[in-house]
Amino acid sequence: MYHLNGLRWVLGCFTALFLVFLYGPFVVMTILSFQQGPEGGPQFPIIEWSTFWYKHVLSIAEPSRVAPLPIGDALLRSLTLAFATMVVATLLGTLSAQAFRRNFKGSGVVFYLIVLGMMVPGVLLGLGMALVADQFDIARTWWGTAFALHVVYTFPFAFLVMLAIFNRFDKTLEEASWMLGVNPVKTFRKVTFPMIFPGVLSSMLFAFTLSYDEFPRTLFTGGSEATMPIAIYGTFSVEIHPNLFAFGVLTTLASFALLTIYGVLMALSVRRSKIQSSGLQEEIA
Amino acid sequence: MTDIKTPSVSNFDQETPVTAANNARKKSHFLLLAPGVFWMILFLVIPLAMMVYVSFWTQTTFAVNPTLTAKSWITFFSSETYVNALLRTGRLWLTVLVLTFVIGYPVALFVGQLVRSETLRTILLVTCVIPFWTSFLIRVLAWRPMLGKEGAVNILLQKFGLISTPIDVLLFTEFSVVIGLVQIYVVFMVGPIAFMLGRIDHSLLEAARDLGASTWTIFRKIIFPLSLPGVAVGAIFVSVMVLGEFATPAALSGRKVNLLGNIIVTQVGSLKWAFAAVVGVVLTIVMALVITALLRIVNLRKEL
Repeated sequence: MYHLNGLRWVLGCFTALFLVFLYGPFVVMTILSFQQGPEGGPQFPIIEWSTFWYKHVLSIAEPSRVAPLPIGDALLRSLTLAFATMVVATLLGTLSAQAFRRNFKGSGVVFYLIVLGMMVPGVLLGLGMALVADQFDIARTWWGTAFALHVVYTFPFAFLVMLAIFNRFDKTLEEASWMLGVNPVKTFRKVTFPMIFPGVLSSMLFAFTLSYDEFPRTLFTGGSEATMPIAIYGTFSVEIHPNLFAFGVLTTLASFALLTIYGVLMALSVRRSKIQSSGLQEEIA
Repeated sequence: MTDIKTPSVSNFDQETPVTAANNARKKSHFLLLAPGVFWMILFLVIPLAMMVYVSFWTQTTFAVNPTLTAKSWITFFSSETYVNALLRTGRLWLTVLVLTFVIGYPVALFVGQLVRSETLRTILLVTCVIPFWTSFLIRVLAWRPMLGKEGAVNILLQKFGLISTPIDVLLFTEFSVVIGLVQIYVVFMVGPIAFMLGRIDHSLLEAARDLGASTWTIFRKIIFPLSLPGVAVGAIFVSVMVLGEFATPAALSGRKVNLLGNIIVTQVGSLKWAFAAVVGVVLTIVMALVITALLRIVNLRKEL
């Protein structure tokens, strides 16, 4: 298909430009995070290169008029919330997807009821929940009302991922295992789980990231104790300092590490299942 | 007539072990579904219903009381500010949707169809996703030093001699809001389209080519129609997120561009619950119309 080469070249250039557009702000942010502090603002020109704002984020810079980001508390809350959301959303997603392996009456309604959770804009759900809490005198907390909404938001993602996994899932393997008299627990551990593991891992990743960065739903329902995004939003109305950019760079690096772990786990799981299946074949032979 | 037959059939069925197994299956089914459905009704359906209900309550200065009235609704539709916000939300949503499609489709086409190596395809897709690991709000803020009067874009344009004086309408205008929204959400358009394009069977395209179809015909008759579900899913993602936006306009327009989302935030801030609920219901209706229209193109359940 060499006559497509022209087209491939044009679209390749377009994609390169697209990546520049996608990464432009990030590059600028990284440059500005090395702005001199505490006087240097989040704009060009760079007065002097320094790592002041990184120290500021980590609270090891000399005290200045710029208040430090409430990293400790807010970050811990965000991580706890994301972890809890991850567990509950993946569990609910897997259970519901399991139910969908067999067709049943009203499955259409249930399907769209679940998917609705990711389709309703966060600000609406936040508002609705705040109204309910206000009327029934329920305290608005990040671990209560906000947590409930985080699950509403991430559960559909886990559900869809697991549904896609189960759709490609060869049921005869499980049945063969039962036929051979392997008990259900062992079947699940040895047959079902290894097959759905990539899906579970992806669901967990989805739920964790979405919840960690979740903001409109938390804004109205999180109460007075801020999560990380809320703390960042709080700085919108006041002056912005490059410490936010330094924080952005640091979190990106941290997430990169997390993504690498995910990639390694995924690769290991793929390799293990390959080895297992080839081992099985040898045994049969 | 069926009335007479049905009971006898079910009576007969109840005796067989098949029905017993079926019942057990139904029960386990119910147990599997109950937690999820229960959660969604409690924390999704009830809050939304509450919003509709409260939109008809009476708003006093700092509280609401459940006396039903349409007053907040009348205020909304008779106020130029709010109707304008509704129109602006619609306009911005459409602009962003068209732009994400125009920018995203060629990229998806490249990634999904023209990249031959599997590794390069994965690398490109991962590259698109990495920016999402930075907090959404920080990504929004990063546009300020990009577009400002002394921002990166102006510095570069001046350096290359394309302009002599910095352009100062780049930031704190509707333009900057659109740019910010497109950059943040365009990947949600690229992903689903690239996914659908990657699934197209290549023998289909070869067959078409062997039969003498031109590249353009192949695109028009095979590739584009097959990618349409991806476009619809991408459009749903982008629409949902843009219509509910308030942080990006707040950060990049200097609070000059107010969308429906911004009005909700302001009203909640001043405890005008009934009024916020009205805006919320209006937004929900817009949302529902858009999603229903898009779901006509794609059957979500079939595409998984």
